[in-house]
Amino acid sequence: MRADLELIGVDKVYDNGTPAVIDFDLAVEKGEFIAFLGPSGCGKTTTLRMIAGFEAISGGDIFIRGQRINDLPPERRPTSTIFQNYALFPHMTVRENVAFGLEVKRMPRAARMAKVDAMLHTLGIADVADQRTERLSGGQRQRIALARGLVVEPDILLLDEPLGALDANLRRTIQAELKLLQRNLGITFVFVTHAQSEALTMSDRIVVMNQGRIEQIATPYELYTRPRTGFVAQFIGRNTILDGTLSSLADGRALVRTAFGPLAGTPHGTPATGGAAKLVIPSESFDLFPAASTDAARLRETYGPNVLEGVVAQRDVVGHMVQLGLRIEPSHALHLDGHVEQFHIDALQPESRVWIAWQANEATVIA
Amino acid sequence: MQGRVLKPVLAVYTGLFILFLYAPFIVLGILSFQIGPEGGPQFPIIAWSTYWYRHIFGLTPPSRIAPLPIGESLIRSLTLAFMTTIVATVLGVLSAQAFRARFRGAGAAFYLIVLGMMVPGVLVGLGMALVANTFGVDRHWWSTAFVLHVVYTFPFAFLVMLAIFNRFDASVEEAAWSLGVPPARTFRTVTFPLIFPGVLSAMLFAFTLSYDEFSRTLFASGRELTLPLAIYGTFSVEIHPNIFAFGVLTTLFSLALLAVYAILMSASVRRARRVAIQEET
Repeated sequence: MRADLELIGVDKVYDNGTPAVIDFDLAVEKGEFIAFLGPSGCGKTTTLRMIAGFEAISGGDIFIRGQRINDLPPERRPTSTIFQNYALFPHMTVRENVAFGLEVKRMPRAARMAKVDAMLHTLGIADVADQRTERLSGGQRQRIALARGLVVEPDILLLDEPLGALDANLRRTIQAELKLLQRNLGITFVFVTHAQSEALTMSDRIVVMNQGRIEQIATPYELYTRPRTGFVAQFIGRNTILDGTLSSLADGRALVRTAFGPLAGTPHGTPATGGAAKLVIPSESFDLFPAASTDAARLRETYGPNVLEGVVAQRDVVGHMVQLGLRIEPSHALHLDGHVEQFHIDALQPESRVWIAWQANEATVIA
Repeated sequence: MQGRVLKPVLAVYTGLFILFLYAPFIVLGILSFQIGPEGGPQFPIIAWSTYWYRHIFGLTPPSRIAPLPIGESLIRSLTLAFMTTIVATVLGVLSAQAFRARFRGAGAAFYLIVLGMMVPGVLVGLGMALVANTFGVDRHWWSTAFVLHVVYTFPFAFLVMLAIFNRFDASVEEAAWSLGVPPARTFRTVTFPLIFPGVLSAMLFAFTLSYDEFSRTLFASGRELTLPLAIYGTFSVEIHPNIFAFGVLTTLFSLALLAVYAILMSASVRRARRVAIQEET
């Protein structure tokens, strides 16, 4: 079966020679919710605009349901785009905005109007149908943009940071609505965002991009627990990253020689023995024990080599979160943040000695 | 502290500025009500009358003062201004649209277009006359002069439209394309309604500039005179207050034009909506 949307080796080089997107490969199944996630300038919006047809493609191919669309103008592509600023037509009412895309399709007026009304109802904006758009709230404008884009029944809906202009509460509401809508309609969504929480909560898979390249394509859970590159480890979640050299690789267990001694993790990607490696430990995986009341030998039975001794240098409690600064002899520092419960903060007074430990299967070793 | 001194000074300055701006017109207005036919352009006026207004329309008994030769020249000037407005605005909109994409040579093309409003009118007019003579082309207000009027007003229309497109949010066009609306129709139903206020301004510029254009027309228009040329022609004999009366009437006409502009401007959004609805048949 052909994928709904397929990008093969897609490149974008701007006229002045700067590459914006390099060798982008992706296959999206029908009905999938895909997020392009990355810092600003990483090429995620450019990729979206190439799919929509607003930007020319410098190299590679884009297919939608098996049809090569490289040279199709935007109006002939089976995609709709939702813009960050919504790009509503200010000289039309809500209803006219939504009906606009259907007017060019040769559809009888009655059927068209019925369809528009149904879409207005689905998105809960029927009561403002005859108003102009500019006086409406951000959430309503957002819904108008969605209604306008969906009523033409695109194969793929492209969303360019559509929640960026909304306040935090509304954003969460619309996130949930959007996800529900997508599931009910069964349309493929491609969603561009720079907010990882947005990508992690809504998407089936996330494409993490950096400097024009794909860093990793994975489900939110895998991305969170098994980053494949240093960039992803840094960008997603709250990870502690320790640099070192890979000393051994056996039975799905990698040993990394770090400044804190040899530490173990689960290899991901292609780290090579003797080469540089990074040990990535999610902050949720750290277990802390007061040194005074804990037997280090017993800890080593449970945690293997992943036991370090440290001194609490700094402790800041922010609500239910705690930020810990740990000093590790002779001259290293480790910063952890996590839930109050996780770190038993009562026992962690400044200058108290602690054991820091984590399970090897929860840590990831990458090249 | 500074504001206490500065504000009155600025107020006086602004008042003087406006006075100098309008004083000539006020004097002209007063003189136009001079008694006729014996009264001349002197101040204070001898007595109030509407003689010179009636004189313009040929409603006074014949006297030694010839009526102003405005009939045909007024028609000519209005026709010329109208033609110029249409052509310059269409060209201005189209070329500003072209400049939205940074094509190769855009910089040079920009300066070549803007040059049309920079070069001295007398030189261009003279040049046009020489070229026309060289190639044996007859000079007329509707041919050689018309071309010069377009060359002169087109840059104004172009610059107005350039400024409008500068603030134009191109994503509404992209939104229309992505809904399956082809570019030509998108321009008609989305872009044009949104830039319409700018188009009106460009038209107003072109019309007023062409209507009282003098130096270019002087050399390029041939024997049939436009209104500014016809009026200038009467100066060489003797100045009578009928010119002032005519000046007042022309100004009223311009004000009426401005009023129409304002009405169209405020109605432009509604008009744009109608365009959008008309498409929907």
